[in-house]
Amino acid sequence: MEEDTKLIEAAKSGDKIAFGKLVKQYEQLVYSFSFKICRDKEKADEVMQETFINAYRGLKSFSGNSKFSTWLYRIVTNNCLMMHRKKSHEPVVSLEDSDLFKGTNELQVAHWGETPHDAVLNKELKEVLDAAIEKLPLDYRIVFMMRDVEGLSTEEVGKSLKLSVPAVKSRLHRARLFLRNELNPYFAK
Amino acid sequence: MTLVDHKKYLLEICEKVDQDLASPTCKKLREHLEKCPDCAAYYDSLKKTIVLYRNYDVEMKGSRVTQILARLDLDEPLQITLPPKGPGQDRNKKHPH
Ligand SMILES: [Zn+2]
Repeated sequence: MEEDTKLIEAAKSGDKIAFGKLVKQYEQLVYSFSFKICRDKEKADEVMQETFINAYRGLKSFSGNSKFSTWLYRIVTNNCLMMHRKKSHEPVVSLEDSDLFKGTNELQVAHWGETPHDAVLNKELKEVLDAAIEKLPLDYRIVFMMRDVEGLSTEEVGKSLKLSVPAVKSRLHRARLFLRNELNPYFAK
Repeated sequence: MTLVDHKKYLLEICEKVDQDLASPTCKKLREHLEKCPDCAAYYDSLKKTIVLYRNYDVEMKGSRVTQILARLDLDEPLQITLPPKGPGQDRNKKHPH
């Protein structure tokens, strides 16, 4: 962490070698997070590279109040949202009463069998997970990935998306219930 | 217990799913989960949903440091002057066999 601070300071004054070291240290993390949002390896690569370009240019605005990774996540999020707006006409923010979430408030009781415990998920299961998350509007997807998968705080997620804490919580609930209900037919015994 | 009774726990289950249920604020929910297999199953499925997405990760094929730094270099004003090309140094010329 202290090492990071030194590298960031050096990179701020234009030291590209220092910045290269930072890229090396964080590129897998940024790539992985980008994939979690855009669900496409090629796009994730594009977003990751763009994120570091933006990071270098905007490094002076990094105050050190948040973790460097959190700051990078915020850039990824912006890039994904921008790319999404450019390439599709679908609104990023869905209406609260959208059809998508109908039924998620009903308790469909089901006992799930064992899910794979380790990180080895088979291809079929990955497709099921992709299909479910791709149905989720981008801002819900980002909230779920930042909060539940990456473990950022509700406040940090709110700051990244310019959303209030209650708005983050409401999106998180909907995203969790939606994904759980989408996966339910696959796992219910 | 009717479905309505469980439903009031739904939001709470959803909210507390990533928290430590041993905390005092979760006491009521914890007690309900202990005696209600349906809500317990629901809680379990929500938790598994999160874990599945946590476990789904992708590896990068190779480092992109070189590409990124090269792109940054293009931002800088060009300072390299090309050496003058002498006669007979055109390497693009094909050699006749
Ligand atoms: Zn119950």
